[in-house]
Amino acid sequence: MDFILQVENLKKYYGKFEALKGVNFEVKKGEVFALIGPNGAGKSTTLRIIATLLSVSEGRVLFMGKDLSKYPDFVRENISYLPEEAGAYKNMKGIDYLRFMANFYAVDPKDVDIFVKRAEEISELGDRLNDKIGIYSKGMVRKLLIARALMTKPILAILDEPTSGLDVINALEIRELVREYVKEGTSVLLSSHNMLEIEFLSDRVALIDKGKILEIGTSEELKDKYSAKNLEEVFRRVVQ
Amino acid sequence: MKKFNNLLKKEIKELVTAQLIISLVFTLLLFNFMGSITKGEIEKGIKLRDVYVLNLDDSSLSKEVLNNLSFAGFKVNLMNNLVEEKNKEKAIDYAKNNDINFLLVIPDGFGQSISKFSPMEIEVYSIIRSFSIGSTVNSEMVNQVVNALNRYISNNFLKEKIPNIDPEELKNPIRSKEYVIVRDKMAEGSSAEVTNFVQMQSIFIPIILMIVIMYSSQMVLSAIAVEKQDKTLETLLTVPISRRQIVVAKMLGAGIVGLISALIYMFGYRSFMSGITGGVEINSTDLIQKLGLQFTPYGYTLLGVSLFLAILCALALSTILGVLAEDLKGAQSMSLPMVLLVMIPYFLSMFSDINSLSLPIKIIVMAIPFTHPFVASQNVLLRNYNVILYGIIYMLIVFLILIFIAARIFSTDRVLTMKLSFGRRKSSTEGKKVGL
Repeated sequence: MDFILQVENLKKYYGKFEALKGVNFEVKKGEVFALIGPNGAGKSTTLRIIATLLSVSEGRVLFMGKDLSKYPDFVRENISYLPEEAGAYKNMKGIDYLRFMANFYAVDPKDVDIFVKRAEEISELGDRLNDKIGIYSKGMVRKLLIARALMTKPILAILDEPTSGLDVINALEIRELVREYVKEGTSVLLSSHNMLEIEFLSDRVALIDKGKILEIGTSEELKDKYSAKNLEEVFRRVVQ
Repeated sequence: MKKFNNLLKKEIKELVTAQLIISLVFTLLLFNFMGSITKGEIEKGIKLRDVYVLNLDDSSLSKEVLNNLSFAGFKVNLMNNLVEEKNKEKAIDYAKNNDINFLLVIPDGFGQSISKFSPMEIEVYSIIRSFSIGSTVNSEMVNQVVNALNRYISNNFLKEKIPNIDPEELKNPIRSKEYVIVRDKMAEGSSAEVTNFVQMQSIFIPIILMIVIMYSSQMVLSAIAVEKQDKTLETLLTVPISRRQIVVAKMLGAGIVGLISALIYMFGYRSFMSGITGGVEINSTDLIQKLGLQFTPYGYTLLGVSLFLAILCALALSTILGVLAEDLKGAQSMSLPMVLLVMIPYFLSMFSDINSLSLPIKIIVMAIPFTHPFVASQNVLLRNYNVILYGIIYMLIVFLILIFIAARIFSTDRVLTMKLSFGRRKSSTEGKKVGL
C-alpha cells in the first residue's frame, strides 16, 4: 500500500499527563483522512506532532517512509500545516504574505510567482490582497491562510478546522477546492467538528477520544457499523 | 541563505512600523527642540552681563569702582539717568517694569566709609521671573560683581600701603603646581582637567550602550511575543527553515533596527547635550596627550567588540524571555529583568567606581555581562586592555550559553508550551527535541 503517512503507537506526554495513548493510523496517497473527536481528545496534538511542532514522546511517525523525528526538515519541505487558530502578519499586505511564505518553498525563483498566482486563485481575494491583513475580516484571513497552505501543492496538507470562521458559501467553496487538490495528488489530514464537512470531504475517518483511536473507516462503514443515519450519530455513540 | 534573508527581511519590516518611525522622528525633534531651548537660555544667561546701578553716593571712589566694573566684563548702566529722582523704590519699580534682572544700589556714604576701612553694605536686587537655567546664571552674577568690587577696592588699598608688591601676590602667597600621574606617565596639570576630559569623551558610551540594549531587547521580546499573540509562530515553525535560523533572524533583525534606532536617538540626544554644554567641544590638550589618555585604534576595536558582545548577550537573553511571554503585555513585563540588568551597571559606572566596591558586590556586578562594556570605555583610556579582554571572553561564554539555551528552547516543544504568566501558575512541559 502506498502510504504517505504512518502513525505507529504514537504517545505524547505533557509532564505526567498522557495526551496520546498509542495512536495508530495511516494516510494513503491522494486520500483525505479526517480525525474527529470531542474537545481535548488529542486531535490537535496529533496534527501538531505530524507538523513537526511537537515532539514524539513514544512510538513513531513515518512520512513517506522517513522517521519524522530524524528528518523534520524533509517533512517541513513537503507538508503544509494550517493551525486551527492561525493568524497572519497584520502589517503585511495579503500579497506580500503569500510571497513571503512562497519564498520558503520555492526551489526556483519562478516558483514564487507560480505559487502566488495559485494562491490568488484559491483565495479569490482579488484586489483585497493589496490591503494590509490587519483590516481583513476573519473569513478573509482564513481564506488567505488556506490559499497559503495549498499554493505549494504539498504532498500532505494538515488542516485543523479548515473552514472555521467562514460563512456557508465560502466554506462550501473551500471544501470543493480541497477535493480538487486531492485529485491532483495532495493528501489531506484534517480535523473538524463539522460532521457535514467530514462526510463531504473525507475518504476515511478516525474517531479519537481521550488520546486513543476508537474507530477507523469510511463514513459509510462507520454508519453501517453503528446503524447510524449520519456521522454525528456515530460520533455520539462511539464517544458515549 | 535565501530563506534566511527572506525571514530577516520580514523581521526588519515587521519591526519598522509607522509607529516606530513616528516615535523616532518625534524623539529626534523633541531632543532638538529641548537642546535649542536650553542653548538659548544659557546664551541668554551668559549675555546678561548688563549691570544696572543706582548710585546714591557721589564720591569719586564709587564712580571709580563702577568704572572698574566695565574692565571686569560688565556693562554698567546707571539708573541715575533713567529714574527721575535718586530713589531706590523707583529704581526697583523701573527694573521690574523694564525686564531688568539685576540691580545694584550703592548707598550714600559708600566712598567715605570705605576710605575709613569700615565695611559697607551694597544692596543687590535680583528680579526672578522664572526658575530657568538662565536665572541661575543671573544669580551667579551677583557673586561675580561683588567679588570684582571687593578685589578692586582691596587691591587699591594694598597698592597704596605697600606699593612695591603686587596685591595679588600678597593676598595669595601660596600657589600650587599640580601634577597628574596616570599609570607610568606624569604631566603637569590639574586632575580636574583630566577628569572633565575623560568624562566628556566617554559620557556617551554608557548612554549609547544602554539605549541600544534596551531598544534591541524590547524589539526581540516584542517580535516573539507578537508572533505568539497573533498566532503566526506555529505556522512559521512548520516552514522549511531551521529553528536556529529563525532565532538568529529574529535577533539580527532586532539588532539592526535597534542599532539604527539607537543611533537616531543618540543623534537627538547629542544635539540636546550640545545645547546644555553650549556646543563646547573639549579638545585633547597637551596634558591629555602627555598622559596618553586617548583612544587608540586597538582600544576602539576592543570597545566595539565589547559593545557588540553585550548587545548579542542582551538579544539572546531577550529571545529566551520572549518565549516565556504569552503576549505583548507579557513581553513588557519580561523586559523588567533586562532593564534592571542594564541599569545597575549603568548607574554604577556613572556615579561610582566599580573597582572600589566590596569584593562580593563586585563579583555580582561583574557577573552581569552588561557591566563589562560600561567599564571598558575608561579602561581603554587607562590602557587596561587585559581587563577588557577578560570581559570580552566572559561575555562570549555567556552569549554562547544563552544562544545555546535559546536554540534549544526553539527546537523543543517549549517554544509553544513554555510560558510565565504573572499572577498565574508557571507551566512548562517536557521539551524533547523536535529537530533543528
